[in-house]
Parts: sequence; C-alpha cells; structure tokens
Amino acid sequence: MFSRFKYLFLSLFLLFSACTNRQDDVVVFKPTPYSFNIPFPFPTEMNIPADNPMTVEGVKLGRYLFYDGRLSGRTQPDSMMCCATCHIQSNNFEAGINHPIFHGGFVHGINGQQLDHVVLPLVNLVWNFSGYGWNGFLYQENQDENFRSIEDFVRIAVTAQNELMGDTTNVKTLFQQIDGYPELFKQAFGSEVVTFDHIEKAIAQFVRSLVSTDSRFDKYMRGELQLTPSELNGYVLFTTENGADCFHCHGSSGNPLFTTHKFYNNGKDTVFPAQPDRFSVTGDEMDRGAYKAPTLRNVALSAPYMHDGRFKTIDEVIDFYSNGVQLATLIDPLMHHAIRGGVQLTQSEKSDLKAFIVSLQDDSFLSNPYFSKPSSFPDE
Amino acid sequence: MKAPIFFALVLVIGISVSCKKNPATKNDTYGAVRMNIRHSISGNDFVKDTLQYANVAGNRYLISEIQWFLSNVIFEKSDGTLVKSGQSEDIYYVDTDIPENCSVLISNLPVGDYKSIQFTFGLDEITNTSFRFVNPPESFMFWPEYLGGGYHYMKLNGKWLNTNDELAPFNFHLGIGQLSWNKTFNDTDFFDFGLANAYEHCEGFAPPFKLARISQFVQNYFISSQEIEFTIVEQSNTTFSLEMQVDKWFDSDQPFNFDSWGGSIMQQQPAQEMARLNGQKVFRISLIN
Repeated sequence: MFSRFKYLFLSLFLLFSACTNRQDDVVVFKPTPYSFNIPFPFPTEMNIPADNPMTVEGVKLGRYLFYDGRLSGRTQPDSMMCCATCHIQSNNFEAGINHPIFHGGFVHGINGQQLDHVVLPLVNLVWNFSGYGWNGFLYQENQDENFRSIEDFVRIAVTAQNELMGDTTNVKTLFQQIDGYPELFKQAFGSEVVTFDHIEKAIAQFVRSLVSTDSRFDKYMRGELQLTPSELNGYVLFTTENGADCFHCHGSSGNPLFTTHKFYNNGKDTVFPAQPDRFSVTGDEMDRGAYKAPTLRNVALSAPYMHDGRFKTIDEVIDFYSNGVQLATLIDPLMHHAIRGGVQLTQSEKSDLKAFIVSLQDDSFLSNPYFSKPSSFPDE
Repeated sequence: MKAPIFFALVLVIGISVSCKKNPATKNDTYGAVRMNIRHSISGNDFVKDTLQYANVAGNRYLISEIQWFLSNVIFEKSDGTLVKSGQSEDIYYVDTDIPENCSVLISNLPVGDYKSIQFTFGLDEITNTSFRFVNPPESFMFWPEYLGGGYHYMKLNGKWLNTNDELAPFNFHLGIGQLSWNKTFNDTDFFDFGLANAYEHCEGFAPPFKLARISQFVQNYFISSQEIEFTIVEQSNTTFSLEMQVDKWFDSDQPFNFDSWGGSIMQQQPAQEMARLNGQKVFRISLIN
C-alpha cells in the first residue's frame, strides 16, 4: 500500500513538474511595456518591430539620446549634434523655417554640407507602414536589411557625412563612459554594455512614441468644440473633389493621420533630372518625380514645404495647388485638376482652406513634456 | 511490479492530457470557396499605365490602379436555399497593387450543389458606415462626410487622351451620390453648405446640377448576380475566377465619355448612375475547379 502511494506521489510530482515553467530559478529581465492612449478612430495597427517592442525604459533612454548632443560621438560644444538639432518639438519635430541655426529650415550636417532635401516631421510614424523618408528608401521588405526601419534611420543619421558624421564605435564607447547611461541601458535592454544596436532601438522607440491625436479638428470630431465657420468651410473644401480635393492624399476624418504615407508626383515639375525621388527606390518610370505626401498635422509649423523646401508658407502651397500645378506626363492620376492648372480657389476659399489646415495643429503635442528635452542628462 | 507499470501509465496519460490543447472539433459538412479576382480589358488582364485602350466614345485611356470593395456574398443552392458566408465580416477589400488582396477565401459553406452566386459591388447602406475601418488600406477608402460618408465603393484611377491631346488624369470613383436642390439658404446659415458645389472647379463638362446644394444622398451600390452550377465539397476549396471587365464600366449600355464628364465624378450623380447601370455587365464569374 505504501509502495502504491509512493508511486502515486512520484507520478503527480512529475506531472506538475512537466507542466510548470520554472522561471523562479532564472533572473528574468522584464522592462515595463509602453502603452499608448489612442483615441478612436486612429488606427489600431502599429508598426512596431517584433525585435524592438516599446517599453517605458526604452522610450526614456531614447528620449535622453534624442536630445543629447554627444550622439555625434563628440563632446566639444561646437561639434555636438543630435536628432533634436534638426527635429524641434515646437516645430512638429521638423527643422522649421525659423530654425535658430539652419537658415530657412534647410539643414546641414556637422561638416556644413546641406542635405538634398528638407527634413520630414517625426510625428505619428508608428502608423507608417509605407517606408521612411521622402522617397521611402527605408522599407520593411528591402532586401538590404540595413535599410528597413527607423532604427536604420538612426544609424544613417549618425554616420552620414552631411549629418552627424559620427562613428558608431566612438558613439557607443562615449556613452558607455558617461555616468548614468549604462544603468539606463540596463533598465531598457538588460545590460549595462552600450551597443549601437541598443542606441538605435532606444531612439526609435522614442520616435514611435511621438503621437499627435489632439488637434482642434480632433476635438471637433469628438464633439468637444465647434470649429469656426471659416474652418468648417475649409473642411468642406478640403474633402470635396469640386473644392480643394486634398483628402485623397492627405486624409480627413476617415483617415485622421492626414496622410496616406504614399508617394505622388503632384505636378511641381515637368522634367525630372536624376534625383532621389521614388523612382530611385522602385525603378518604376511612373515614380519619377514622386515623393511622400507628408502628414498635414501641425503643418503650419513645418515650413519650408515640399521635398526641396521650395515653398516658404502655407499660402504659397495653396497657391500652387490652386493655380500652379503642371500637367506632367507622369503626374499622379489623383491630380486631375492639373488640366486647369489646379483647383482654382478664390481668395476667400484659400483663406478658409488655410484656416482648416491650421486647425490640425495639436498644441498639446507640441508642448508635451514627455516629448521635450529632459531637464538634465543622466550625468548631470 | 504491476504498481510501477500502472502508475507509469497514469503518468504518461496524465501528461498527454494535461499538456495538450484539445483538438478542434472537425465538421466535415462544410467546404469553402476561393475567388481569384482578375481585372481585365477586352478579356486580358490590364497592363497598368500603358496608353493602349480605347472606349466606344473614342477616348484612348490607361489604367493605373483599382481599389474596391466586394461584400455580402450569397450562394444559392440548387433547392433555392440562400447561403451566406459564415464569416463575421463579409467585406473584402481588393487592390490591384496588393496581389494578396486579389484572392478571397469564403469558408464555412455547406457542401452540396449550387446554382448561382451574387455579391454586392461596394457596400450597402447597412454596411457603409463611417469609421467602420480604422486601419489602412481600407480606411484610406473613406468617402467624405459632406458627400455622404462611408467609403468609396471603388477608386479606379487612370488617364485619358483628351481633345487637346493632353494625357489628362481621371478618378472614376464610385460611392454615395448626391442630389441637389435650388433652394436658397438664409444668410443666417452657419456656414455655406453650397461652397464646394458653387464653382466649376472640375475640368470638362460642368452641368447645372453642380451649382446647386446637396439635398439628398443616393446609394449607388448594386448587386451582381450570376447563374453558375457548381458543387461545394467537404474540406475542400471550390475555386472561381471573379473577373472585373474594366472596359465594361465605359462601354456598356451607357457609353462613358471622359471628354464630357471630366476627371472626377464623385459629385456628379448622373455619372454615378451611369456607372451603376453599366456595372451590371462588368463582372463575370467562372468556375476554375
């Protein structure tokens, strides 16, 4: 009888052992998952890589790195540069035409060489599945695994001659030596050893956290305020083919991102010399002269406009779409007003359209303390 | 000696029962249908962005992309019983730029003999509600609230060679239409509802109804039905070709002339109505296996 119970206990013990994880024997690294507070009807699907899940600790570290001028790998005051040098929060994380260093919003790197395009705003990129950059040269399906993600964008920006002109080894070595950073890396990634892979991932996490969902228009859609008559007129113009016809590329209530993240030849030019346009990525002749339609959220602060920054004001952009569109052979089919040079708005309509576009400004995003420069860095 | 064997048996059975999920219950009385969706002109798959097509109105044209909704698929059994998809959401987004979206699998269909298939082109008034889709690409199909809300039934984008020999863009976009009235609003109206209709912004023909204000919305979706005998076999896919004959949008009972209608028809209900009528001859379903 005793023998039978002995075997019964043994069996039950083995049974429970087989079905139980013995995690208590292992020290498990468990950072805090980062959660978004996203209002309806913003997308529920987000572009967050499986190998870089967002965590509170990762975003925190990324924020420090985003704003730390030592990201260039240098410590001399005149040679420091970081993401925030060009991506200023109050300018929609874009350079802005009023940039204190880069005249007119045309940025250049540490070596003084100007970029061949203006910078795009870092806003709501967590919902971008169509590639990053004006021509989408970083995209998930890229055969070159070094050109796929925001993480790759970080490395490119740090090492490019006309940007931070840094060296990844120098950068990681420098941050390894700065008091406080190794501990932040440990909290975010489980190790105090600073790697450039973790630098990329942390900054990418912070950039993905930059979400804008609270403009005047958002509040109007939620029934929290009423738009002005001029803004409402502009809303109608924005969303009608017989009006300004903006919505197919730039969204509206049904697509609150105010972009499709797709690439369009919008009729700025009729000839397309060799340039880093969408064609340079796809090789499709129809993509010559095509560039990403940027989001219009906070766009009033994102001057200069178009990939080459040719327009200084929203008024100039509206004038272009009203009367300046050129009927290029390769123009996107959505630009059907090109046959008349544009949507032919009256001065009053232009004013209303501008009022609506300005209503897409999200002041709480532009001053969100969680997105702003930290009051001090880890070694301060 | 028997005791160890007995308990070893208990152990093995216990582990196998406790650590495995219950196998799904099989139901052998259902099969599935796969619809392979083609977009053709004159019977051949259209070649995008090539100016090689012409309609009966004499317009030479090219097609760049087609995005549309197929919904509410209903199968009719030989005894007349109507069978709907057992899927919770019977809406399918089709996009010529997304190959995987050009094949639709409809499962949980009872086995047996069938005699017809019907589906809704676009979305009916019950289904076509704003904010149904929050994620792209479906959300990018939204139809502006001012024009009736919901979603485009279809975006068919291309270019035609106009009378000035210009390659002019067109957006053959179908969805909820608008009827207009000529009543004059009071000056106290909160904002000018007629603003977007008050000017002849669109290229091409500008009929008087474009100058009036919206008084009513029109559901322009339609049901396409075709008699076709087939059998659904248990645990198997019956495969069909669902062909959108793109040229039929322009060449059926209501010949469509781009020079007359211009490059945009979202706010031209008569053009929407023409498309709705022509649409009855646009789709063709054939059994593959």
